[in-house]
Amino acid sequence: MPDEINREVRSTDAEPDPVVDSSLSGPLLIAAVVLFLTMVWALYDELFSQRPWKHYQAQFVRLYTAHLQKVGPRAAAAEKEARSSPEFQKIEQLLKKAEDSAAPKVKEIDREVDGIRRQLAAIKSPFQDVRARIAALTYELDHAAGKAARDSIRREVDEIRKRQMSVDLPADGAGAAVSAQNLSFVDLEKRFNELRTREAQLISERATVTNQARELRRTRNEYLSEHMVGLGPQQIEGLLRKMHGFRIEIKQIHIEEAGLVDRCESCHLGISEPLPLTAADMGGNRVFVSHPNRTLLTLHDPIRFGCTPCHNGNGLATASVEGAHGNYKHWLWPLFPKENSEAGCLQCHFTDRVLDQAPVLTRGRDLFELKGCVGCHRHEEFDRESDALTSIRSNIQNLEVQQKESRLEADREVQRGDTAESNDQAQQHYAKAERLRVTSSNMDARIKELDLQAKSVMQDLKKVAPNLKDVRLKLHKNWIPVWLKNPHAFRPGTKMPRFRLVDQEVRALSAFIWQSGWQGPAPAPQPKGDAAHGKELFETRGCMACHSMGEGNNRAGGEFAANLSRLGEKANYDYIVRWVHNPRDRTRPYCPYEKRDLGPEDYARHGLPFSFGLDRSTCPNDGHELQVQNMTVMPSLRLTTEEARDIATYLTSLKHDDAAYPSDVAFMDDRRLAEQGRQLTSRYGCGSCHEIAGLEDAPRIGTELTKEGSKPLEQLDFALLEQKAKAEGWYNHKGFFERKIKDPAFFDTGREKALEDRLRMPNFELSPEDSRALITFLLGSLDSPFRSEFRSIPQQFRYIPTDQQKDLQEGWWLVKKYNCMGCHTVQAGQHSVLSALPRYQDPDWKEQLPPSLVQEGARVNPEWLARFLSNPAMTEKDTSRNGVRTYLKARMPTFSFSPNEIRILVRFFEAAAGQSSPYIPSKLEPLTEPERQMARALFSSPGAPCLRCHLVGEPRHDRSATAPNFLVARERLKPAWTARWMLDPQMISPGTAMPSGLFRREDDRWVSAGPTPGIFSGYRGDHVDLLVRYMFQLTPQEQSALIQRLPATARTDRPPPDETATVAHSR
Amino acid sequence: MIALTAVAALALMPGCGGKKETTPAAGEQPAAGGEVWRPTGDEGTVTGKVSFKGQPPKFPAISMDADAVCAAKHSGPVHPEAVIANPNGTLKNVFVHVKSGLEGKTFAVPTEPVVLDQVGCLYNPHVLGIQARQDLKVVTSDNTTHNIHPLPKINREWNISQPPHADPIIRSFSRPEISVPVKCNQHPWMRAYIHVVSDPFFAVSDDQGSFEIKGLPPGNYEIEALHEHYGAQTQKVTVAPKGSASVEFSYNATQAYRAGSLRMMPALVIPCCGGGGTERGASH
Repeated sequence: MPDEINREVRSTDAEPDPVVDSSLSGPLLIAAVVLFLTMVWALYDELFSQRPWKHYQAQFVRLYTAHLQKVGPRAAAAEKEARSSPEFQKIEQLLKKAEDSAAPKVKEIDREVDGIRRQLAAIKSPFQDVRARIAALTYELDHAAGKAARDSIRREVDEIRKRQMSVDLPADGAGAAVSAQNLSFVDLEKRFNELRTREAQLISERATVTNQARELRRTRNEYLSEHMVGLGPQQIEGLLRKMHGFRIEIKQIHIEEAGLVDRCESCHLGISEPLPLTAADMGGNRVFVSHPNRTLLTLHDPIRFGCTPCHNGNGLATASVEGAHGNYKHWLWPLFPKENSEAGCLQCHFTDRVLDQAPVLTRGRDLFELKGCVGCHRHEEFDRESDALTSIRSNIQNLEVQQKESRLEADREVQRGDTAESNDQAQQHYAKAERLRVTSSNMDARIKELDLQAKSVMQDLKKVAPNLKDVRLKLHKNWIPVWLKNPHAFRPGTKMPRFRLVDQEVRALSAFIWQSGWQGPAPAPQPKGDAAHGKELFETRGCMACHSMGEGNNRAGGEFAANLSRLGEKANYDYIVRWVHNPRDRTRPYCPYEKRDLGPEDYARHGLPFSFGLDRSTCPNDGHELQVQNMTVMPSLRLTTEEARDIATYLTSLKHDDAAYPSDVAFMDDRRLAEQGRQLTSRYGCGSCHEIAGLEDAPRIGTELTKEGSKPLEQLDFALLEQKAKAEGWYNHKGFFERKIKDPAFFDTGREKALEDRLRMPNFELSPEDSRALITFLLGSLDSPFRSEFRSIPQQFRYIPTDQQKDLQEGWWLVKKYNCMGCHTVQAGQHSVLSALPRYQDPDWKEQLPPSLVQEGARVNPEWLARFLSNPAMTEKDTSRNGVRTYLKARMPTFSFSPNEIRILVRFFEAAAGQSSPYIPSKLEPLTEPERQMARALFSSPGAPCLRCHLVGEPRHDRSATAPNFLVARERLKPAWTARWMLDPQMISPGTAMPSGLFRREDDRWVSAGPTPGIFSGYRGDHVDLLVRYMFQLTPQEQSALIQRLPATARTDRPPPDETATVAHSR
Repeated sequence: MIALTAVAALALMPGCGGKKETTPAAGEQPAAGGEVWRPTGDEGTVTGKVSFKGQPPKFPAISMDADAVCAAKHSGPVHPEAVIANPNGTLKNVFVHVKSGLEGKTFAVPTEPVVLDQVGCLYNPHVLGIQARQDLKVVTSDNTTHNIHPLPKINREWNISQPPHADPIIRSFSRPEISVPVKCNQHPWMRAYIHVVSDPFFAVSDDQGSFEIKGLPPGNYEIEALHEHYGAQTQKVTVAPKGSASVEFSYNATQAYRAGSLRMMPALVIPCCGGGGTERGASH
């Protein structure tokens, strides 16, 4: 049929039909092939290219197995080596001996136990049968009705108990000999109990016999694990087996409560392997390395925390590296770049100023403070003092309103009471009025307290840069424009940035700054000092912990404060004397209420002398708290006026010979120019860092950076460079920060702007490492879910610091604020700035380094520490010395800490040393007279030469002393620490002048390692304990008795060589 | 590697005088991989002299008043040993060692300890060389308590008390480090310098100013002389198989290079005011 139709069609229509006439097999074939290929591709894609991790896993298994096979023999060799050591061999021998000596007894016990167990096994079944029967009958007896029934059951029980049965009992000894015996239940029960008791007895006996061997075996295993570095051969074998049975599958961490799924370990397979893996170990594949910081991983177990909460990236994605790392347009939290990975720590640790495990981030936060970023940019954590002040002030205002309200209400209640209808009602109204009055009085107290706090905070509030109200008194007029033009040219690395000012702006700013400065009162004119002695003092008093000196390669000292190499070119001598003597001395006090500085005339108006200070800090006009100190962190070193003159003479003598300054600076007195300058000062935000008259409350000009890392990219002003950034692949936060920090004017590129519209951020000239640290900090400044409201993150995943951790957090802000680490070691392993100076490399200068504070909280009594911090001279008169280590040339300065800061610091040290608070001193046994004699003898014996180094208060002896006086011990030290220190000071402070090994262990006590004085014969007490008690009960009288026992030669007048310089110069 | 860490781990243990603190791993093991070098019989010798021109500085006599035991051991005044010029125009106590030319070779650590004695409150010898991980045995011949306090920058610092008649203190340094000062905090004038090196080829110039380094494998070397007051000098030398080479060093009294101590010069040299602040200390 179809053929016919075909023919018909063909005959009727001559035109060829494309459907009928041409064959479709060609296109169909192509389509089929395409379909087939598509399917192959789809399968391939499904199985392989969508699952790149499969390839990674196969590769990992191969590489890791190879690596394990390589390190296996090494581990075996290491174990063999440890096993062949004499110590190990000795333990092995002892073990063998112990095992051998125990063996016969053990064998005997084992044989007997075996016999007992076989007997028990034979008895057990018939015995338990009968016992069950009796138990059933007893139950029936309890529930039976009527005496007759009960009697019958009782009889039955009796009968069963007495019924004889045949039991096949094995013979006592070994062998299969069995003898059948007829026994009643009573006999069985007795024998069963006897056997059980004997068995328990034998087992405990066996434990006693083998105890020694067991202990030795434990010692042996401990020795092996202590003397093997890395994994043992068995552990490596275990890892190899794990690789053998490795299943290729997605590896994921799923934390349901937090809604977190991280599949990172599907590719990063080595991350938490127990064997540390480097890229070299894994054939150069960085993807397989183990986590570089094990400590961090221990603190934040990935099973509990996952990966992305710290590192960012898309934990769910598995199809590509870019996807998983979140480096694509639609993922808001791309992986932190490797060199900025510490940014992630800030998600939770935003209040931690210092993080041990994040040095780059910590450095970034240091820089934020050090370089004065904090002046223009708000960052929540860095505004502690000003935030506190704002909140205290608003609290006071609220309280004042409430108080007024409750006073009025009380009056109204009294009135209501007066006119009440009944006495009862009147009483109620009076009572209410009384309550309101008490409340109002409480508020009085609270306001007082807040006022005090406000005073504290005002004392703690510091400025980034110097007080410019002092310029006329302090600076050379013609230096100012040169400095403003380019501070880095005058002083490389200075905190003051370069503002890209045109000459006209420099002139206007100079004029304004000059004219806004105080004309007086001028610092007292000072006679010249001795520059050479000044230099000696500058290098030894501790100035260089903060300040650097020298230029280029000769530069030495701290970066915390200015480099003073060219001070003579800028500063006036008289002012520098006053400044060095006490930098907190302010020319005029500032009244925040009147918003102006007070002069002698304000005081004179009230008949008062022009005198103010921390103890005289209220405004004579209105009674408000004044700013009475310069808002600088620089402390007073309690120098004498002579010393201050010597240092100032030295510093002002430092200048470049070829320094040239414009001679014509008359423009700086031009009033019109100054007016322009005032506007520029606001524009450039000078008042953010400096104190400038009229700009004390100037708003900050920078953008807030608290959450800068989370700012949507569109809000970062890439300006005309957006397309370029996208094309070049730096259209991201890091790309923006990097360029902005390197060249703050970068994003003005290509734009036509008027002078006053250009970007204002100045140039800081940061080194690449510093820039990286700062970028890390900015990238980590995120809108963290942990920061304010906790959204959906469950309690157990939040970082909630304990009280001690909070004390540490608070303390670190102050330790950094005042640069304690310039002089002291605060953390184990940290080196102070002073300790790196060339002078202190000399063995003779080693003892001149300020003390390490690593265990300060464990060492000192917190009450003493508070007193010391408020007055390190520990005395009111003769303050030009240290309070404890009078032998130190470096001076512990007076920081004028507010009570609030002292509290924070004391708690910081207590927390850092893990001390429980409050500290309650333990009571020490009083010394008996013979004990006193003994302690005195030991103190001055050649075996315990304490007094060779410790101060005794005798000037001739003390010249060569390098350790504190024992008289301060009672108030200053904690007895437990003192004992620990005496036993092994090198353990607590490696490298300290006090040697270890002064005592040796004898039975259960410590005795002096040296020859013991004869008076000790028969004494059984602990020598360390004796000496501690002696020290803590030492009186000045007792100390003079002690000094009398010193060899006469030690008390002769002998100026030690190092003192001659100082002696010669002091006038 | 394992051996090194074991040594470090031991150094962490609290100090107890007289206890031998060594580890089995520290025996004949090389420091870090590589074969231990063995002599082949071809070794040569480097000998030489350290000459000295000019007047040695006059140091004030040490005052041993603080400890009568020390003073009693000496009949006349005792001077610091920072510069000892021999009568024959040579310099004593110059440490001479191979600075370069031995790279890639690993040397066995001698089992024999190097001894440092304390006699009359002075160290004997004043300058000594030791191989890393070789035992240092500190003994005392004084009837007073000393403490031995090396001040290394690379190695771990320690400070141990040694009363009269106490057992020797045995310690070692894990890493090579030139010029480790040793002091006693109770007798601050006491000073020794320990030079920790990684090979056995070193010597200290003697009373005649001469030194000898034996058993050097043939090759080209840079030999360095180090003196605590006059600094370092180097010379190139070639040692032929079984040969002997000679090196001469020469120091000049006018070339004092460094502070040495508090008594002599401020260590920090920074630009100062016209009035010779930098040299001030040198005058006393």
